[in-house]
Amino acid sequence: MIKIKNLTKIYEVNKNNITTALNNINLEINEGELIILKGSSGSGKSTILSTIAGLSKPTSGEVIINNERISKLPDNFASIFRREHIGFIFQKYNLIPNISVKENILIPLIPQNPSSEVAEKLLINVMRKFKIEHKKDDIVKNLSGGEQQRVAIARSQINNPSIIIADEPTANLDKELSIHFIDILRELKQAGKTIIVATHDPLFFDLDFTDRLIEVSNGELLL
Amino acid sequence: MILSPEVLTIIIINIIFLVFGTIAFILSLKIFFNWNINATSKKQYNLEKQSFLTATIIKYILFIKILLFIFFVFTLDKISNVLTGAMCAAGVIDATSYGIYLLLFKLINIYLFGFWLFIHKFDMNTKELKYTKLKFGFYLFIFILFISEIIIEITMFSSIDVDKLVSCCGTIYSNSSESYISSIFTLNQSLILIVFYSLFALLILFYFLKNDYLYLIGNLLFLIASIISLIIFFGTYIYELPSHHCPFCMLQKEYYYIGYFVYLTLFLGTFYGFAIGISNMLSQDKQKIKSYYKISMTFIIIYTLLVSYFPLFFYLKNGVFL
Repeated sequence: MIKIKNLTKIYEVNKNNITTALNNINLEINEGELIILKGSSGSGKSTILSTIAGLSKPTSGEVIINNERISKLPDNFASIFRREHIGFIFQKYNLIPNISVKENILIPLIPQNPSSEVAEKLLINVMRKFKIEHKKDDIVKNLSGGEQQRVAIARSQINNPSIIIADEPTANLDKELSIHFIDILRELKQAGKTIIVATHDPLFFDLDFTDRLIEVSNGELLL
Repeated sequence: MILSPEVLTIIIINIIFLVFGTIAFILSLKIFFNWNINATSKKQYNLEKQSFLTATIIKYILFIKILLFIFFVFTLDKISNVLTGAMCAAGVIDATSYGIYLLLFKLINIYLFGFWLFIHKFDMNTKELKYTKLKFGFYLFIFILFISEIIIEITMFSSIDVDKLVSCCGTIYSNSSESYISSIFTLNQSLILIVFYSLFALLILFYFLKNDYLYLIGNLLFLIASIISLIIFFGTYIYELPSHHCPFCMLQKEYYYIGYFVYLTLFLGTFYGFAIGISNMLSQDKQKIKSYYKISMTFIIIYTLLVSYFPLFFYLKNGVFL
């Protein structure tokens, strides 16, 4: 379960440039739920996701995931927690362009240093699941947007995390590829994953398998 | 005042450290008095950010200060060339009344700085940052010693009179000397050797018994016995001169800088010995404590074998002891 308690995030560049990205928000997300956070650009969706993932610290308040106070964890522990429990799909994929698909997907396994047999098995599993096996040895920068996104999804799933966070996952995709991504989401939801998607893509607003659609506006949740 | 490039380097580095150390001191005060890891307030999150910054500043200062000690000893040796009568660092130490206090301060501080780094390491290995308050509280204490050391160091270098005749180590480290050091020459050489080797044997025993506090006390006694035995017995075999007891000349090129190795093994061995006591208080990680035992014992064995080698080699070569 994910609990967000009195979460406030203020970006303070200097005294004259202060932005309140999140204003005292509270939210509980149950295990296996699919939550869509909708809202315009700058509404605070991405800040919620990065705080849940422990990528940024709140100004006040906290995030608790499975009884672990993720926002209170030191960076090294937050990284370990993220590696074990959270798969993050970024808007711009955040892949390393000059290395192969296979190498990109294997990156999250590096700290665990599994045997090559185990790593290969996990790699083949996720590549098959997200239909990217035939591109295994291709350099990432030569792939299309849809293929790059499938690599990003495969990378987020190689550790089999229970929570999946996607930030504007279809922002760079055409409609057909966006629908394909939604199919992948459906499969992940059926597999019991907790999924949080931040998007302003209308395709996500009428999905039959969404548990909650929450609007974010000016750093507040319109529940 | 002597302003050789080495002395200038030390003074400039110390001034830089003083600036950053003071910033760290102010932030440490703030953290020490306001820290509450359970709070989710803006103030606490700011303190957490500041604690990482402050710890980084302190970590680098203390780590470099430890390395700087070697450079300090090297500098003393280097400037002994310009002091009339001085043959090595001992003459520079004896040139002013501050020298011996500075050396003692530096030695104590090195151990304390190392302990701070240890506490910091333990702190960063806990999810709840358990030792943050202790770590910054400890820094508040060692900052006073740190400042004192810098003041004494600058005072010492500025009060060295290059025209004044100073004593050489042969005079300082002799029983005819009127200095603080002459008292150790009243000790019986055989008795000191018995104490030294007995303490070594006891440390091996405590190592197998894994009694942390006995091992810590054993290390403290071993450190004292080692320095005394090095001055009154082992040093003479390094120099192959029965009347030469200087603990500094062995740091010179003529003796292949063997002193650096001798002191490094002794200080590292005893430091890890003390660190076992700290680890015991802060962490129950038996695996880590076991590894510290191994490191400590390894250096202590190397030190003991190293200093024992010189009299043995002399005896085998000449058939007599000095």
